[in-house]
Amino acid sequence: MSVLKLDRVTVLRRGRKVLDGNSATFQAHRVTAVIGPNGAGKSTMLNAAAGLLQPDAGRVTLDGADISRLHRRELARRRAYLPQRADVDWPITVERVVALGLAPQLPAFGPLPQRFLPAIEGALASCDVGHLRERPANALSGGELARVMLARAFVSAPELLIVDEPTAGLDPRHAIDAMRRLRARAREGCTVIVAIHDLDLALNHADDLVAIRDGAIMAAGPIESAATPALLSALYGVPVRLVRDSDGTTVRFLSAAEAP
Amino acid sequence: MRSGALFAGLLLAALPVSVGSAERAGSSASHRARPLRVMSMNQCADQLVLALLPPERIASVTWLSRDPDGSLMHREAQKVAINHGLSEEVVQQQPDLVVAGAFTTPATRMLLRRLGYPMIEVAHADSFDEIRTITRQVAAAVGEEARGEALIARMDHQLSQLARQSGPAIQVAAWDGAGFNASEGSLYNAVLEAAGAVNVANRPPASTYGRPDVEVLLAAAPTLLVKGAGTGRRAGLQDNVERHRLVQRYWDGARTLTVRQSYYVCGTPFVADAISGLRGELQAAARQVQAPLPFAAGKTL
Amino acid sequence: MRWLTPSLMVLLLLTATASTLAGTVWLSPHQAFASAFSGRADLAGLIVTEIRLPRVVLAIAIGASLGLSGAVLQGLLRNPLAEPGLLGISSGASLGAVVAIYFGFVAALPLAAPVFALVGAFVAAGIVLLLARTGGTLALILAGVAISGVSTALVMLALNLAPNPYAAYEIMTWLMGSLSDRSWDHLALALPFIVPGLALLLSTGRALDTLALGDVQAESLGVPVARTRLLALVGTALSVGTATATAGAIGFVGLMAPHVVRPLVGYQPGRALVPAMLAGALLVTLADIATRTVVLAGAPLNIGVFTSLIGTPFFLWLVMHVRSRTA
Repeated sequence: MSVLKLDRVTVLRRGRKVLDGNSATFQAHRVTAVIGPNGAGKSTMLNAAAGLLQPDAGRVTLDGADISRLHRRELARRRAYLPQRADVDWPITVERVVALGLAPQLPAFGPLPQRFLPAIEGALASCDVGHLRERPANALSGGELARVMLARAFVSAPELLIVDEPTAGLDPRHAIDAMRRLRARAREGCTVIVAIHDLDLALNHADDLVAIRDGAIMAAGPIESAATPALLSALYGVPVRLVRDSDGTTVRFLSAAEAP
Repeated sequence: MRSGALFAGLLLAALPVSVGSAERAGSSASHRARPLRVMSMNQCADQLVLALLPPERIASVTWLSRDPDGSLMHREAQKVAINHGLSEEVVQQQPDLVVAGAFTTPATRMLLRRLGYPMIEVAHADSFDEIRTITRQVAAAVGEEARGEALIARMDHQLSQLARQSGPAIQVAAWDGAGFNASEGSLYNAVLEAAGAVNVANRPPASTYGRPDVEVLLAAAPTLLVKGAGTGRRAGLQDNVERHRLVQRYWDGARTLTVRQSYYVCGTPFVADAISGLRGELQAAARQVQAPLPFAAGKTL
Repeated sequence: MRWLTPSLMVLLLLTATASTLAGTVWLSPHQAFASAFSGRADLAGLIVTEIRLPRVVLAIAIGASLGLSGAVLQGLLRNPLAEPGLLGISSGASLGAVVAIYFGFVAALPLAAPVFALVGAFVAAGIVLLLARTGGTLALILAGVAISGVSTALVMLALNLAPNPYAAYEIMTWLMGSLSDRSWDHLALALPFIVPGLALLLSTGRALDTLALGDVQAESLGVPVARTRLLALVGTALSVGTATATAGAIGFVGLMAPHVVRPLVGYQPGRALVPAMLAGALLVTLADIATRTVVLAGAPLNIGVFTSLIGTPFFLWLVMHVRSRTA
């Protein structure tokens, strides 16, 4: 049961406030989508939440403990983080890339201990990349690579999973697939935080929402109550209509003429 | 490529030109007055000019001639002006004759020729014969033939004296400060042989160009090491072989003879003086070392 | 591949043995073995114990330094063209060594050579790593070219100012690398720097594996990326700096050794370290044998001649290959 909290977090970059006193709570068992226009500070917020960026003011806590006080390896064991466009530079096999997710648990020298093999098998299976295990990871298609990277993040069974734009560049099938897998993780008890551009995916697959613009949080809460046309219009500066039907919710951006 | 072959090649290439220009300079000398002010742009030509002419007839010699390590005439060189081998200095000093060397850059030589300066080119001498040739060449060009012949006669007399007194050859391994072997065909080797030494670094298993490495020294087991070096010790890589613990163990002290570079760097008629000195030094050093080197015992020398 | 490291070790042992037999004076294995343990000051004994053994050990230490630092730099920068020579680290070390040798520091204190060289290597490597953090392959290579250019110019300046008139000639051959006439004294001077340097480089193995995922993912996996950079920097400066001070700049070993072994370890940067170290040692030992057995026109060749003859075509092939892969 891990709860991640941002407490009045401020991040400065060249004197400019990229995050301005943000407070937010991310619950276990739930997928929280961080949305906002380009340059809103989504990635910065995720970096701060992951403990990769020391805030200039405020603090980030994981189950009440200040994340900056946690030992680097302990934090790495409990939290997994995938940046945008995560990829691999060498033609390393998929199986070994997934095993890299266990790095914080491995001894400093020597081969991979046998006891980690089941975890690797499980991660490969959960992302349907078992058949790719011997393929070099830098020669995969975008969808395959995204799944491999998710498997890399899942392998250490983290309590906190922070993923920046997992669906960018993926076709609809693979994008939906990625979101489903993240949601499945959340159902198992994981705290999942996803920065995402695709609002349809966010509204249909996430549980909670954090909307951010110009470094400030405009709204936060469950999708059903927080995701209003008014919020989304204000967030993106474009009139918005939400269309709900039996298949889910669709966000329709309107040109000014169509606006109600 | 061996330095001897290189020098020989340069000599051959330079000969027709230099003889021709010497003749021209000589013939003009008979018409006009002897060239009054001579400028030398080569370290070795410097020494010939200094030996043949009084200071007042020398416009300048190179700055290298004042270096006691490389020049037998460094005291005489103190009495005359110096140059750095630049054509600008020629224009400035307006000499009646320029003496250039085979190593003066072709660009400088071409420029001077185009500007119309009377110039002779003196090749590098690698043997006593070549010393005679270049001495006569320079003497003729400056109009001091008699003095030139006297210098040659003196050298020849000394050399024949040395040849009569020759004893058993002393086995040496010789190189100079830059790490070059005293290779066959070089003046250094000619000097060593005239002084009664045999350079084992010129025979297999040594290679003939570079200075022998420690392994070759062990295999050839020379009685003495002869190192050409300046009087002032200058830091460099030659320390590597000299500091090798085997060299220090077996050849240090009495078995190492350091000779001045000026003995062999330039071919001048005074080389015979250097040879006499070197022979004395070699024999004195060889007398001191009695016991053979331990690893030379099993070898058939 | 489980057999890779052991087989490289066996190959290295065989090559090292051959290296003690080959040279001006050829020895039979029996001769070499008998005289090495006889303790007598006969020809074969002296050649084996005082000339060839230190030379072999030095060749292994230097090759290991080059191969390992190449593998670490390539892994750290995620760049197949990274290498101490191409990045200008060897040039920086050369500059330090030249200053130490020609201005009398070495004559006064032999320790000056490795110390000056490792300072030069440290400065060069530091600048390159700083520049290469943000840029890609191109930025890295250009930074290396710039550092090499500046170091070469400063070496020339140092040679101009040096009191030894033969400095320029000596340095020309020295920069091509040579192990001739090196004794146990050189080893005693070099190993105290090379061994800790190698240890620092080897300690980065696990971090390099993770760095294949990029700096950010590595950081998120608990890898102290900044500290890994510092370890690689200090390790490279210690080992390559000292190697250069002892035997001159031997090019391309750091480039070739990691590439030769990488396919055999599944391209994992950390797993390539030990095999790359052994392959580097093997390359330099072989090249050193070649300098003693291949004699052209009476003049012995330098180690760098052999490594560059193999290394340059390899480098060109690599440049084409890398370009076609990223284009």
